[in-house]
Amino acid sequence: MSEVVSPQVKLRAMLGGVGNFHLDSSETCLEILAAVLERKGEKDVVILSKGHSAPAFYVMLHEMGLLTEDELYSFANIDGLPSHVLRGLPFIEVSSGSLGQGISVANGIALAKRGDGKEGNVYVVLGDGELDEGQVWEAAMTSAHYNLDNVVAIIDRNYFQLTGKTEEILRKEPIDEKWRAFGWAVIEVPNEKEAIQAALDYADKIKGKPKAIIVRWERD
Amino acid sequence: MIESFREAFGRALVELGREEGRLVVLDADVKDSTKTVYFARAYPERFFQVGISEQDMVSMAAGFAIAGKIPVASAFAAFLMRAWEQIRNTVARDNLNVKLVSTHSGFSDHMDGSSHQCLEDVAITRVLPNMTVVVPADAPSVYPLLKQVVELEGPVYMRLGRDYAPRVYEKPELELGKASVLREGDDILLIANGVMVSVALDVAKTLEEKEISAGVVDLHTVKPLDEETLLKLGSRVETIVTLEEHSVYGGLGGAVAELFSEKMPKRVIRIGTTEFGRSSRDYVSLLDRYGLTAEKVSRRLEGVLA
Repeated sequence: MSEVVSPQVKLRAMLGGVGNFHLDSSETCLEILAAVLERKGEKDVVILSKGHSAPAFYVMLHEMGLLTEDELYSFANIDGLPSHVLRGLPFIEVSSGSLGQGISVANGIALAKRGDGKEGNVYVVLGDGELDEGQVWEAAMTSAHYNLDNVVAIIDRNYFQLTGKTEEILRKEPIDEKWRAFGWAVIEVPNEKEAIQAALDYADKIKGKPKAIIVRWERD
Repeated sequence: MIESFREAFGRALVELGREEGRLVVLDADVKDSTKTVYFARAYPERFFQVGISEQDMVSMAAGFAIAGKIPVASAFAAFLMRAWEQIRNTVARDNLNVKLVSTHSGFSDHMDGSSHQCLEDVAITRVLPNMTVVVPADAPSVYPLLKQVVELEGPVYMRLGRDYAPRVYEKPELELGKASVLREGDDILLIANGVMVSVALDVAKTLEEKEISAGVVDLHTVKPLDEETLLKLGSRVETIVTLEEHSVYGGLGGAVAELFSEKMPKRVIRIGTTEFGRSSRDYVSLLDRYGLTAEKVSRRLEGVLA
């Protein structure tokens, strides 16, 4: 009988050999990616704007049977899985690693879909530290201006960024009010797969504006 | 005959929009200045305004390319370069089919001064893997080159000036990636692009009077570099001169000097800028101040070649 290994354990095993490379960013992203990838249909697009969570993404691909164990543990080997996602990997339409660009790219895809009369959502996974990037807010204005209700931003609100607590590095709160002021519908949920799935379902019912799901990390 | 780069660009886009349904145009609130307003009027459903946010525009163009469109994102050269990191990390790294077209490059935005005058863009786009870099010489060159840029699969930076484009070609037959030989010569070879092609032709005439035979090449595609043509023409002369409305570091002069130093060592004199610009009521007097008129270039070369 083979032992069932949890995603958290896989993640730690994967990153243990590489100095826990952005481990926190991946740990808080596991449930988010699980919910988003489970939900993703043929016509949907997923953009991992916080590229630093690539390890969590690879763990999910492994859970889905899209990566072998050897591939998973090839992380950051010179010919192995890249440390930030690259175009060409399963589900990955655009490379990341440079923060702040995901919603802009999503808007382009969403407008092209609209022009072609195509269905499907564009899901963008962002970090809370990433919200420091000015381009996030340029893009947030653009999504709202074009009433892109096929754009769904999922914000991993884990209260940490690279060198400290988010509110000490650069104050983010009130995050919900910021997104609402920019013309987005806002849904707030705890960082649990079922709650995130429910939020994604609910987001589908909101028409005429882009949607931000703020996923709050309530554990230590 | 003086024509306008941006007018030629605006009209070419409308023409190409008719031929290619996948073409979409993105603007960062400069459509009246870049003349993409003509496309906006002709095909409003394929024109996308993002406001004054060049970084958002470039990443959004990447999204359109991912979705199978052929996006043309346009702005003033100086401000399009504000999105260099987006160009590097998303457009070039993913080899996306995004066309970046600048206007107001070089000194052409003479009134607005050094903040708006862009003299570094060819250098910083040329260094990017996957990127093609194109600098048309005159207004008639814009349509045929832009058509090939749109047909090419992959990222391109096309650099245009504003309203001062002395005519070089009556009916240009230009091939992207292929240097256009305008004049043969056995003493020196002048390699230019953009508005400096017409300057190079005038310089060649002046030098002829002094019994110096100068060849002239329009190197409209800086990358990929047409090494074969350049080495063939270069082998006939002692000295090569590059002329560009751009820094001598890293642009056309840099590309040509790299080629000859490695494959056919000989003297390369780079004519261009080493400083920021300044405001001026008149464009040509600005070129003159920076030594880029035919008269100034000829005088300099006569001194060097004497």
